[in-house]
Amino acid sequence: MIPFAFYLFAVLITGLFLVAVLSRNVLYAMTSLAAGMVLISGLFFILGADFLGVVQLIVYVGAVMGLYAFAMMFFDVSREVRETRSNPWLVFLLGGGIALMLVVMFAAPIVGDSVKALYPPVAHTTNPQAVGLVLFTKYLLPFEVASVMLLVAMIAGIILAGRKMEISLSAMDEDILPETKENA
Amino acid sequence: MSLEQFKNRNVGVQHYRMLDLSHTPQTGWGQFKQVVRRTLSLELFVGLKVTLREMTKALFFGKMHTTKYPFEKLPVGPRYRAIHEMKRLLESGHYRCIGCGLCEKICPADAIRIETAYGEDQRKQVQEYTINFGRCIFCGYCAEVCPELAIVHGGRYETASEQRASFSLFDDMLTPIDRLKEQKEFPGYGSVSPDADKRIHKTPLAY
Amino acid sequence: MMEVTYLGVIIKAILILAIISAVAGFGTYIERKILAFMQRRLGPMHVGPYGLLQIAADGIKLFTKEDFIPQNANKLIFMIAPIITAATAFIALSAVPVFPDFTIFGIFVPSVASDINIGILFVLGMMAAGLYGPLLAGMSQANKWGLIGAARTAAQFVSYEVVTGLSLLAPIMMVGSLSLIDFNHYNETHAWMVFTQPLAFVLFLIAGFAETNRTPFDLLEHEAEVVAGYATEYSGMRWGMFFIGEYANMITIAVLASIVFLGGYTDLGFIPGWLAIILKIAFMFFLMLWVRASWPHVRPDQFMWLAWKVLMPLAVINVVITGIVIMV
Repeated sequence: MIPFAFYLFAVLITGLFLVAVLSRNVLYAMTSLAAGMVLISGLFFILGADFLGVVQLIVYVGAVMGLYAFAMMFFDVSREVRETRSNPWLVFLLGGGIALMLVVMFAAPIVGDSVKALYPPVAHTTNPQAVGLVLFTKYLLPFEVASVMLLVAMIAGIILAGRKMEISLSAMDEDILPETKENA
Repeated sequence: MSLEQFKNRNVGVQHYRMLDLSHTPQTGWGQFKQVVRRTLSLELFVGLKVTLREMTKALFFGKMHTTKYPFEKLPVGPRYRAIHEMKRLLESGHYRCIGCGLCEKICPADAIRIETAYGEDQRKQVQEYTINFGRCIFCGYCAEVCPELAIVHGGRYETASEQRASFSLFDDMLTPIDRLKEQKEFPGYGSVSPDADKRIHKTPLAY
Repeated sequence: MMEVTYLGVIIKAILILAIISAVAGFGTYIERKILAFMQRRLGPMHVGPYGLLQIAADGIKLFTKEDFIPQNANKLIFMIAPIITAATAFIALSAVPVFPDFTIFGIFVPSVASDINIGILFVLGMMAAGLYGPLLAGMSQANKWGLIGAARTAAQFVSYEVVTGLSLLAPIMMVGSLSLIDFNHYNETHAWMVFTQPLAFVLFLIAGFAETNRTPFDLLEHEAEVVAGYATEYSGMRWGMFFIGEYANMITIAVLASIVFLGGYTDLGFIPGWLAIILKIAFMFFLMLWVRASWPHVRPDQFMWLAWKVLMPLAVINVVITGIVIMV
């Protein structure tokens, strides 16, 4: 049952991400990316990592893709996107190279026959507890660094967004806004 | 009645309280204080209380507002101007209309058409009397001008019909002869007021 | 603990689908009735006794109505979007225990369709994924009101997920588990969480209203502002599916609030547990309708202001205080 589910998910995820990359329609790309994210959380569930699966669901599907979608609002979703590739060979080499590197990275332990869990789950702990134990002992420093990085990003975002907060475009006189006039 | 009173009639005692909008907080700290004050004074729960009170009133104290319309109808006022009625004389049962044609003359929408002829008894008879309800604006002039109180406005306000002619013929508007006993005197436009006896102290001929 | 058979799971899934769809349909009737009573009206009265068959009439209407797809819409996404809303709402319910475990025909039946040990997070995650229903619907229909509705969906759901998660964090810390069944066991020995975590309860309610798109916060399809928001171009059963999803979400939030904050399905004095939780869910559902009848909508900017400047700091402070109290 589990191999079957894995292959099903794997095929679906690959297919959906292919659609996300190859589709010329923004809406299709976004939808398939989000669906792929949901299915990745399915992979986590198969592995018994319920917590990570749900985190994948909440963070990537709920939040990150939600923000992508927010950016998509600025596009006309009914129109197809035309990409301009100035150097297709470069794109092919870089993209293919990175993909190859990732495959080698993930496949290396399998070939080397040394797949060992570095931190096997402690007995009698639930999933979130196991994650927490690893996160707050071995990986405490990267965890804190990541949190500081996120904090910096958040503050930067607030500053960028809040720079012109006190200027209200709708309250302005129309004469001061020549560029909006032209657009309208 | 002064104009102000006239405009405010039926409104009843007003309990409106004006919001003091002149003290809107301008600073962030002031807005914060306002939010805290409004949150902790539980103003939101007043709204919940009101709706719950209305619900209990409606469910358990018979204060439901709904009129189940086709099954029960609200009474219309006596001065309401709906579809016309032609009245009969109570004693003889003959229609009151004397064929004077005043209603046809006064009708601003030109909706009334009357044809009269002399009958065998040399009295004017109504040959044909129609009101075009597609044009009638229900102004009430016809009822007001009628010297005999023969054409009046009734209370029949459901005027949807498959046939345009459904209400507009003389016989349709005329009180059926077998229901003459149920014919009510019209209290609205053009009729004498109910306290006419008190208001008229002398017969008109006295002056 | 128990032997989970595939057949049992499938039967339970079908039962949840059937019962919740029926309850969601019935919810529309209850909503119309309660709103009517609060405005001293009678509500639906003509179809069946006291209008009880109004659901059937609505269902027939929705099923037989023309399923309209606008010309410039992205047809595939347009057709999928309502299914996402309904599906995520029902999937979320699969991890929610509603009744105590019981035995029927000699077969032990556990209370929850799938007892994953992170139930509460799974429900939140599924509700987060539910964002795609209105979002894709609004973006695919080539309608400006739909697009505004979709933009509001993205803003509202992303913001209020933060508040829901943080408000539930304090109870999770007190219980020490993410399983809703553990939450219920916690209630057997401790006071109701609504007394120990009143702030979290209020925050969760507010965020729950926002996530289920209920009235003080139903900016997604606020008729007075954006026609019908993301549902503008929908008709027939596709439109109906959005609302089945919305009502299923309302039930999910009601069940979550009952289990986490209001004592769950533990016996309440002489009232058996299954009845107690039904009463609690019914009260939560009633509360949503009550609020809808009483309070006006909020403005979108005030709504975002509320989420990020009031509710989220309060939730964080609540978590910090809870942490300090637990440590000491």
